[in-house]
Amino acid sequence: MIRLSKTPLAFKNLTHNVRRLAVAVAGIGFAVVLMFMQMGFRNALFYSTVKIVTDIDADILLINRAQYALPARQSFDFKRIMQARSCPGVAAVYPMYTETVGTEWKPASGGKPYSIRVIAFDPDDPVFLIPEVRAQTSVLRQPDTALIDSRSKKQYGIPETLKLLREQTGAELANRAIHLAGTFPLGTDFANDGNLMMGSANLAKYFPMRALGADPLSTVDLGIVKVEKGTDVSAVQRNLNHRFEGTELSVYLKSELIDKEIGFWDHSTPIGYIFSVGTIMGFVVGVIICYQIIYSDIADHMPEFATLKAMGYRNRFFIGLVLQMSFYLSIVGYIPGLLVSWAVYLALAQGTGLLLEMKLAHAALVFVLTLGMCTASGCMAMRKILNADPAELF
Amino acid sequence: MPEAPLLTSIRKASPDDSSTGDTAIRVDKLNHYYGEGELRKQVLFENNLEVARGEIVIMTGPSGSGKTTLLTLIGALRTVQEGGLEVMGNQLRGAALAKLVRVRRKLGFIFQAHNLFQSLTAFQNVRMAAELFGFPAERTSRRITELLTLLGLGHRIHYKPDSLSGGQKQRVAIARALVHQPPIILADEPTAALDEKSGRDVVTLFQRFTREDRCTIIMVTHDNRILDVADRIVNMVDGRIKSNVLVKVTAEICEFLRHVPLFQRLTPGSITEVADKVKSEKHKAGAAIVTQGDEGDKFYLIRRGAVDVTRTEGTQSAPLNSLGEGAFFGEAALLTGEPRNATVIAREDTEVYTLNKEDFQAVVAASASFEEELRKALFQRH
Repeated sequence: MIRLSKTPLAFKNLTHNVRRLAVAVAGIGFAVVLMFMQMGFRNALFYSTVKIVTDIDADILLINRAQYALPARQSFDFKRIMQARSCPGVAAVYPMYTETVGTEWKPASGGKPYSIRVIAFDPDDPVFLIPEVRAQTSVLRQPDTALIDSRSKKQYGIPETLKLLREQTGAELANRAIHLAGTFPLGTDFANDGNLMMGSANLAKYFPMRALGADPLSTVDLGIVKVEKGTDVSAVQRNLNHRFEGTELSVYLKSELIDKEIGFWDHSTPIGYIFSVGTIMGFVVGVIICYQIIYSDIADHMPEFATLKAMGYRNRFFIGLVLQMSFYLSIVGYIPGLLVSWAVYLALAQGTGLLLEMKLAHAALVFVLTLGMCTASGCMAMRKILNADPAELF
Repeated sequence: MPEAPLLTSIRKASPDDSSTGDTAIRVDKLNHYYGEGELRKQVLFENNLEVARGEIVIMTGPSGSGKTTLLTLIGALRTVQEGGLEVMGNQLRGAALAKLVRVRRKLGFIFQAHNLFQSLTAFQNVRMAAELFGFPAERTSRRITELLTLLGLGHRIHYKPDSLSGGQKQRVAIARALVHQPPIILADEPTAALDEKSGRDVVTLFQRFTREDRCTIIMVTHDNRILDVADRIVNMVDGRIKSNVLVKVTAEICEFLRHVPLFQRLTPGSITEVADKVKSEKHKAGAAIVTQGDEGDKFYLIRRGAVDVTRTEGTQSAPLNSLGEGAFFGEAALLTGEPRNATVIAREDTEVYTLNKEDFQAVVAASASFEEELRKALFQRH
C-alpha cells in the first residue's frame, strides 16, 4: 500500500511569489559574487606571485635561506650548483638568474623608463615549462636579444604584433640597445610589472657588475634540480638537505616553495587578511539578505503555520521546513552567482592579466559558505516560526 | 434503512476512541487566567460541561465571554491551569506539549480565517492535514476529492486560493478540518463567510458526520440560521456557562409547559426560560417526594404519573388529595417560607420537573400573571 507522500511545502512557498524569489536570487547571488570576487582576487594575486615558480620545470628548487619571499632576492654562489650536481639521485641542476636592480627599460616608443625584471638562464637548459619559451631558445643565444612578457603592463610599450615588435628599434635595457625577438606569457605580480627573458651570456653583458668584482654569473638566484628518472624525489631532497646542512641554502620541493610563498603573502602581509575580511563581508551581507527573505516569508505565513500546529504538526516539521527553505535558497542563489562570477573572472582575466580562474575547490568552498550563510539565517529566523501560536487563531 | 456512507473512510476506529465511551469532552471546574502577577485576570470561572460523542454543540455568548478561550483549551492549544479537562479520554491538565500535539491530531479545526497556503492548490491544502497520519495515498486522494465535491468545489479542486472566492476558500478550510475523520471538530463561525445555501450544506454535512462517525462538533456561532442543528446550546457570559441546554429536552419541556394551565399566560420567552431551568426527577412508586415538616426548597410539576398528598395532624394521618399529570405542588412552602405542610408520595413511577427556590421566586417576580394564576390555583385547591 502506498502511503501518502509529503507536499513539498518549502519549495512551493518559495516559488509561489515570483517577485520575492527574484529578489532572493538577486540578493543571495550578489553575496555569492562578492565572495567569489574576494576569493578570486586573493588567489589571483597569490597565483601570479608564484607563477614564475609554477612555470619552472623542476622537481626540487634551491634557494637562499634568507629569501623569505620571491621579491626579496638573495643569491648564492655558483659552486652550490656544482655541489648539488654531485648529489646522488640528481639528474641535472640548472642555475637561474633574476635581476631587478638597475634594470631600467626604455620602450622603443620612447617615454619614461620603467624597472623590469630580467630572468636569465642558459638557453641549453630546459628551465621553463612555457611552450613559447621552449620554442624560442635559439633566439636567446643571439647577442643583445631578449624575449618580453606579453602580459607586461602597458607602460612597457609592447607592440601589438610580433612583426612590429621585431622591427622596432630604440628599445633600451640599462641604457643599452636591445632587440626583442619575441614574446612569452608570464604575467605580473605584487613586485613586478614586466618581465624580460634572456640567455645568461646576455645577462652578463648587460649587468657586468652583478657580482661585484667577480664573474656576473657566479651568483645564482635559483637552483633548478631535476631528479633521475625513477628516483624518489623526497629521497633526493633528503640527500640535498643533508649536503647543504649548515649552509645558506634551503631545499624545497616545487610544491613546497609555492606553498611557502603563498603562505608568506597570506599570513605575513595584510593581503590575505584583507581578502578574508572581504569574503566575510560577502558572507555577512548574504546572511542579512537571506534572513530578510526567510523571515518575511515566515511572517507572511504565520496564521498558516499556526494552523499546521493546531493540526498537530510538531516543531520538528517546522525546523525541517526552514532548513529546506535555506537549502533551496542557497541553490537558487548560488547557481546564478557562480555563472556571473565565472563571466566576470573571464572578463577581468582578459582585461587585467590577473590569473582569475574558476577552480572546483573554490567553487565548492563558496557553495559551502553559501549553504552556511542560508542555514545561519534560517536558524536566526527559526524562533519566529516556533513562536507561531495556534491559540491565537480563534 | 441505513444511509450509504457519504465518504471514503481512511481511518480505522482506533482502540482508544472506543475506550472513552460516550463522553467526548468533560470539563470539570475549569478556571483560566490571562496575564501574570498584578495583571493576572480570570477569564473562566468554575466551568463544567460534558459533551457526548455525536453531539453538535453550539456555543453562544457576547465577545469576551470566554467561549473562545474554552474552545482553545478543549483544542489542546493552551495549557490547562486549574480544573480538569478531558478530551477523548485524555486528561489535558498537566499534559506535556507532546501529549497536547497528540490530542490535536484527533481534532479538526475550522477557524474564522481560512488560513490556506496560497502556494498550494485546494487539494494540496486539504492533503496537508492528512499527511500527518500515513494514510493510504489512493483512498486519501479519493476522500479529498469526494469532500471537496460534496462542498461544491468539484470543479475547483486543483485551483489555488487566489482564484477562489471567500466562501470557496472557507469551504476548502472546512474540508481540511474533516479530511482525517477527526472524532471532534472545533469550529469558529464556520458559516460566517458562506451564503445561506452553502452554509446549510455545511451543517448538513456536519450532521451526517455526527451520525456516521459519531463525530462531536463544537461550534461558536452567531448565525441563527443554523441553530436548529444544535443538540446542545451552551451560553457563556463573563467567563461562566450561564446555560447549558439539551435542545431536544428543552423543547419537550416547553411543549409540556405550554399546556399546563399555570403557565398558559406566560409569554413563549418566559416559558423557555422556565424550561431552561427545570430539572427532571424520577421517583419510584411509593417513594416520598416531599415530607411534611421539611424545609421547602423546590417547586414540583408532575410530568407523568400520579402522587398522593397526605397531611399529618397530631397522630392522625389523612389523605388530602391525589394529583396527576400537569398538576403541581410544593409552592406553598416557597411562597410562605413555612415548612412543608404535607407529605407527597408517588403512587406510581412518576417523573416530576422541579424548579429550585431561587428560580421559582425569579419566575414569580418576573410575571405578575403567574403569581395571580398561582394564587388562584391555591385558592381553588383549598
